Amino acid sequence: MKDINDRTRDLGPFEPKPGDDMVVCRCEEVTQGQIRQAVHDGLFTVAEVRRYLRCGMGLCQGQTCARLVKGIMARELGVSPDELEPASSRAPMRPIEMSVFAKEGGRDGE
Amino acid sequence: MKRYDLIVVGAGPAGMSAAIEAAKHGVHVVVFDENARPGGQLFKQIHKFFGSKEHRAKIRGFVIGQELLDEAAKLGVTVELDSTVIGLYQDKEVVVKQGEQVNHYKGDAIVVATGAAENMVTFEGWTLPGVIGAGAAQTMMNLHGVRPGNRVLMLGTGNVGLVVSYQLKQAGCDVVALVDAAPHVGGYGVHAAKVARTGVPFYLSHTIKRAEGTDHVTGVTIAQVDSHFQFVPGTEKHFDVDTICVAVGLSPMSQLFKMDGCKVVDDRRKGGQVPVVDDLGQTSIPGIFAAGDVSGIEEASSAMIEGRIAGLAAASYLGFATDDEERAGVDANERALDGLRQGMFAPKNRGKKVEKTEEGIPVSQTLLERGYVADSEIERFPGVTHRVGIHPVIECTQNIPCNPCQDVCPKHCIKVGSHITALPQLEPDANCIGCGLCVASCPGQAIFLVDEKSEPGFAEVTLPYEFLPLPQKGDRGQALGRDGKPVCEAEVVGVKRTKAFDHTAIVTVKVPEDMSMRARFFKAAPATETD
Amino acid sequence: MGTRIAEHPILGVPQKGRLVSFTYDGKTLQGYEGEPVAMALKAAGVMVHRYTAKRHEPRGIFCAIGRCTDCVMVVDGVPNVRTCMTPLAEGMEVRTQYGATAVPFDAGEKDEASAKDGGAA
Repeated sequence: MKDINDRTRDLGPFEPKPGDDMVVCRCEEVTQGQIRQAVHDGLFTVAEVRRYLRCGMGLCQGQTCARLVKGIMARELGVSPDELEPASSRAPMRPIEMSVFAKEGGRDGE
Repeated sequence: MKRYDLIVVGAGPAGMSAAIEAAKHGVHVVVFDENARPGGQLFKQIHKFFGSKEHRAKIRGFVIGQELLDEAAKLGVTVELDSTVIGLYQDKEVVVKQGEQVNHYKGDAIVVATGAAENMVTFEGWTLPGVIGAGAAQTMMNLHGVRPGNRVLMLGTGNVGLVVSYQLKQAGCDVVALVDAAPHVGGYGVHAAKVARTGVPFYLSHTIKRAEGTDHVTGVTIAQVDSHFQFVPGTEKHFDVDTICVAVGLSPMSQLFKMDGCKVVDDRRKGGQVPVVDDLGQTSIPGIFAAGDVSGIEEASSAMIEGRIAGLAAASYLGFATDDEERAGVDANERALDGLRQGMFAPKNRGKKVEKTEEGIPVSQTLLERGYVADSEIERFPGVTHRVGIHPVIECTQNIPCNPCQDVCPKHCIKVGSHITALPQLEPDANCIGCGLCVASCPGQAIFLVDEKSEPGFAEVTLPYEFLPLPQKGDRGQALGRDGKPVCEAEVVGVKRTKAFDHTAIVTVKVPEDMSMRARFFKAAPATETD
Repeated sequence: MGTRIAEHPILGVPQKGRLVSFTYDGKTLQGYEGEPVAMALKAAGVMVHRYTAKRHEPRGIFCAIGRCTDCVMVVDGVPNVRTCMTPLAEGMEVRTQYGATAVPFDAGEKDEASAKDGGAA
């Protein structure tokens, strides 16, 4: 895992590829090219890319694209997808309106 | 806040089985599920399950689903629907969205059985309306009675891709092709064969290049890929379709385990990120268990057994079952689970290409590359023999854990033996009475009754049939070969449906004598009048 | 309703609620009470549920089980409603969603700024 965050490693210049215009994150409409570019810009972890581009942060919370994003990043980094730490999992696991999220039933919760 | 002995997350096959097993021991259980109806994917499974009696083999998935719900209701298990678990924490605190508010629950033990999510692949146009997951197709046609499309291309030849292709045909859709980037069919050969014989072509080492259409899918172009999965120029093929169905595998939905701090690992053989569990399904946090696809992608049959083990282990953890009770129950279930994990498609063989059967017979290459066993290959399998008079021809050519054919024959003509993955064969002194139970019961629809010389110059072939309209006695049409291509003229001489056949009709066709080992499907001549 | 299965070889005749009317972009359509809104639309031949915020691309049913959220529409004035999970009721007003509203985009305009405020938690 330590090698992945080694920021001295050289990924070479970013070169456009066919399919760069293809949407990967369907909710936030993030393309393959944007993800590849972000890796070349120095974002080597899924969590960083997710915060920066919002892929996996939309309505579906990465249900569809999490695995795809990981695959694209791994290819760009020249590692196996298994070596990339997936983004963290936090509540809420499903889309929920803020008004509902704020409405605690029963006892006042933590 | 409410406190329960046991909280189960997910009312699918694993979760319901866990709840039932725990409730049997007096545990106060609640099951949360985000859907409007319980049962998970079982109610979309309309095919007969593989396995043996203890795995409820030859029973259709949705029937098993109803049995589970009935049993849970009888035991007083509470199932809360439209209840989305949005958080799970280390101290077994569960946060659930129910209606327009968020409720907190505390469980003394937790079973997480959240199942799996579908994987996807990207291609040009993959976001167009009309590109859907295979699960979506099943939901539309099997739960809601709506066809996903009229002309469909299926990507993926794993069991999901094969089974859903067959179901699409049952729903009256035209499946134009089955496509897979892999060089070999991924799912059971029998599932492939029952699709191929209806005339659906298989394109292995092919994948989708683009989906076409402006507002929705109107066509698709596929092309061959080389061993590095790069397109081979000049191999493009176009199909007019309104629907593209994607079935490229499943990933465990294990996010809740990560959230609560259980140890998780990436395990490719299990389909992705899974919690680390012991043989009872217990995670690194005592009292939190995993069962079903969330702990590794398998079948619904194994999910139900894993659920029973986790439910029993939870009961024991909570002090509702003695160690002896737990041990005895777990041992029996583990034997059942072991039975399902045998054979060519066992988890340990995932991704491996098996060249020979356990009997040492070379596996049919045509089956792996085109979805059917070639006429030149079929005779080498032990279930395929020639006899005088009517007799079963068992075209079961891969070692899978399944034996209803052996149990169902009233004359004990068919033998699998005690080793459940052995290829079935006809007993030497078999006295077949032509009842058709084996034909209708085989979950792989791989058994045919053949009378090689029913009258001079003619033979009769009895085949399983699960489509509408059902052929009628006297209908004429074509017999199709295993490859789905017409081999000869055929006349329907018998159609049988009984309760024991469970919606699988058996259709007997009369064909020329030399076609008895080739004719394997019936296609009625197109109706002359419009209907 | 050409895409409804009249009779299924295994499941028989689908069990449905009563036939009710609802509107889709102002047009009156019919569907069965209690079935997901998305199914009633599908049976009526509607493919496009929404146009995306950034690229203005069409989307429709994708997962059909409430995971992907691609089938969201404006239902009774509320945007981002998952039509595959929402039971159909008499008189429902269903509208195509453009970005996060039911107001069509101006032709030709693809606005990066309108991508904000998608309504996610």
